[in-house]
Amino acid sequence: MAQFFSKSANNIARISMLAGVVLAGTAFFVYTQVARSSYLTGRYVERQQPVQFSHKHHVGDDGIDCRYCHTTVETTASAGMPSTQTCMNCHSQIWADSPYLEPVRASFRDNRPIEWERVHDLPEFAYFNHSIHVAKGVGCSTCHGQIDNMPSVFQENTLQMEWCLACHREPEKFIRPKSEIYNMQWQDGDLSAAERVDLKAKNKIRSKEMMTSCSVCHR
Amino acid sequence: MFLSSRQWTVDSGRRRKSLYCLLSVAVCLLAAGCGVRFDMQDQPRYKVYKKSEFFSDGLSSRDLPAGTVARGLLKADKALYTGKIDNPNPNVQVETTTNAAGNTIVTSFPNAIDEFPVAVTKELIDRGQDRYNIYCIVCHGPVGAGDGMIVRRGFGAPPTYHDDRLRNAPVGHFFDVITNGWGKMNGYAASISAADRWAIVAYIRALQLSQNPDENLKMNASPSAAPSPGPAANNNTGGGGN
Ligand code: HEC
Ligand code: HEC
Ligand code: HEC
Ligand code: HEC
Ligand code: HEC
Ligand code: HEC
Repeated sequence: MAQFFSKSANNIARISMLAGVVLAGTAFFVYTQVARSSYLTGRYVERQQPVQFSHKHHVGDDGIDCRYCHTTVETTASAGMPSTQTCMNCHSQIWADSPYLEPVRASFRDNRPIEWERVHDLPEFAYFNHSIHVAKGVGCSTCHGQIDNMPSVFQENTLQMEWCLACHREPEKFIRPKSEIYNMQWQDGDLSAAERVDLKAKNKIRSKEMMTSCSVCHR
Repeated sequence: MFLSSRQWTVDSGRRRKSLYCLLSVAVCLLAAGCGVRFDMQDQPRYKVYKKSEFFSDGLSSRDLPAGTVARGLLKADKALYTGKIDNPNPNVQVETTTNAAGNTIVTSFPNAIDEFPVAVTKELIDRGQDRYNIYCIVCHGPVGAGDGMIVRRGFGAPPTYHDDRLRNAPVGHFFDVITNGWGKMNGYAASISAADRWAIVAYIRALQLSQNPDENLKMNASPSAAPSPGPAANNNTGGGGN
């Protein structure tokens, strides 16, 4: 009987084994990239909102403090969304007949909330709390980016576990003085490394072991 | 175990292949089955602001039923929570003048208390500065001259804090304006707790003093005033103001 496989089959086998390893590696790499892509994390994606509310106008141009609208960011887990009444504090007088504000006026008339589209949305098995981050010196722009430049809000970071942990392992790389929390122009370089380590001690930030324990975020 | 391809018989190769095929299909199905389930992502509980399918108005955070008081929120201290004297008379005659623009201006505040119901400390004034710069500066400007950014964008100008009428107004009047609004200005009771509102009033008094250092302004607290509860006691959840 003639040989079933020719001699070159040996090489084909070796090459295909190598190719298999390379292919598996590539597939794994592609998987990690896809998992971190904006397609799956929602990063950089702008949502269509019921009102074309612009942080660029209200924060960047008019200088309104975040807490004027997100009133509970210092005290509770949720940052809090402004009530329609809050919009009407100003818009009962200015731009009072702008067509862009009709949904706001309708909401005020009918006593129904405006239904904003969520931009940041952690899965519900993860626990997040704004008040502790604000109290320990993590600024809004560290996590949310330059909100004052955003005509419509998008998610600046992946919000994946590896992102949370990168900071929980080394918070001293990201913290700032409490007076600068709401400063959108703050850069990490504005404070030297030594000053940050002091600040970490002053704000009584706990050890890396405690901050990365699973039950901090999965409770 | 390593098998060179030469030793494989066609038959067993086929059997293996079909086995692998089955296995990989099963893995794919399993992965797809898990991948499209979001039970853990979207749990049957209300995350803040999540829409309710149960209540007809769709709100998951409910208002208190009318006529009920949450524990610890009785607000029995009238002076602290309203800035008014005991038994205010709604029909009392107030003095008014007419300004250059023809608007009627109230100049006497007989129902407002004239002493702070909380102790006036440096911490209280610092807290007041902090809160003023969040909520009031946009219209009233950094020193209360009524020239904030929103006024420059077309909002009707508020009066300056530094005229005789407001310098002589009792502290209870300022508290009442922040709580219930005044004319074109809306009330801020929903976003600022009562303790913080008193802190802002103390800061406004400090601003008035800073513009008229010779003036003798009333910064006195009532003898029964407790130290301010401070931000820690600020159990403001955004909905009902306290
Ligand atoms: C005048 C009121 C107002 C002010 C001031 C304001 N915001 Fe907002 N913010 C809103 C409204 C309304 C929305 C919802 C609409 C949207 O997403 O654009 C929002 C949405 C957001 C979101 C996205 C929420 C989500 O859906 O995940 C973030 C983050 C945010 N704001 C951060 C900030 C920061 C940081 C500041 C201060 C620099 C600030 N905001 C100041 C009114 C305000
Ligand atoms: C402190 C005052 C203030 C508050 C509170 C406020 N706005 Fe505005 N808004 C302004 C000003 C001032 C402008 C004009 C912006 C500019 O040109 O700088 C504006 C402009 C707008 C516009 C564009 C109108 C047009 O015709 O171009 C929209 C939409 C809007 N605001 C929505 C909202 C919503 C929604 C809220 C409540 C979450 C809100 N605003 C709260 C002051 C305010
Ligand atoms: C440590 C990172 C971090 C910091 C600092 C931070 N945020 Fe957030 N923010 C988040 C995350 C994560 C979410 C999504 C929360 C969720 O889905 O439950 C969020 C959500 C929000 C929302 C949507 C409403 C909500 O609470 O779910 C608003 C508004 C907001 N942030 C405003 C702010 C403001 C204003 C500041 C600054 C005072 C701030 N954030 C600081 C991470 C941060
Ligand atoms: C830029 C830095 C930073 C990022 C990003 C960050 N955190 Fe934190 N986080 C902190 C600091 C600092 C503390 C305060 C630790 C302490 O109290 O000692 C903290 C505390 C917490 C706490 C409270 C711990 C407790 O025991 O009360 C939770 C929960 C938490 N973070 C969750 C998250 C989650 C979830 C994310 C990602 C979505 C996240 N954090 C992203 C810096 C960060
Ligand atoms: C700093 C907060 C934090 C800590 C600490 C933390 N996690 Fe997470 N974890 C998260 C967040 C946020 C997510 C959601 C990520 C996302 O949406 O992709 C998550 C997701 C997960 C998931 C689901 C992953 C997926 O793809 O669905 C698992 C499993 C998990 N964490 C396990 C752990 C374990 C085990 C530990 C302890 C070693 C831990 N986590 C510690 C914040 C944390
Ligand atoms: C959206 C702009 C705006 C904001 C924000 C605002 N005010 Fe006013 N305020 C006004 C206007 C306009 C008037 C004049 C009302 C009138 O006479 O019709 C006024 C009037 C007043 C008066 C004078 C009342 C009188 O007797 O004439 C006081 C006191 C006052 N505001 C305090 C405050 C305090 C404290 C805050 C912050 C918590 C604040 N305001 C926030 C617009 C604003």
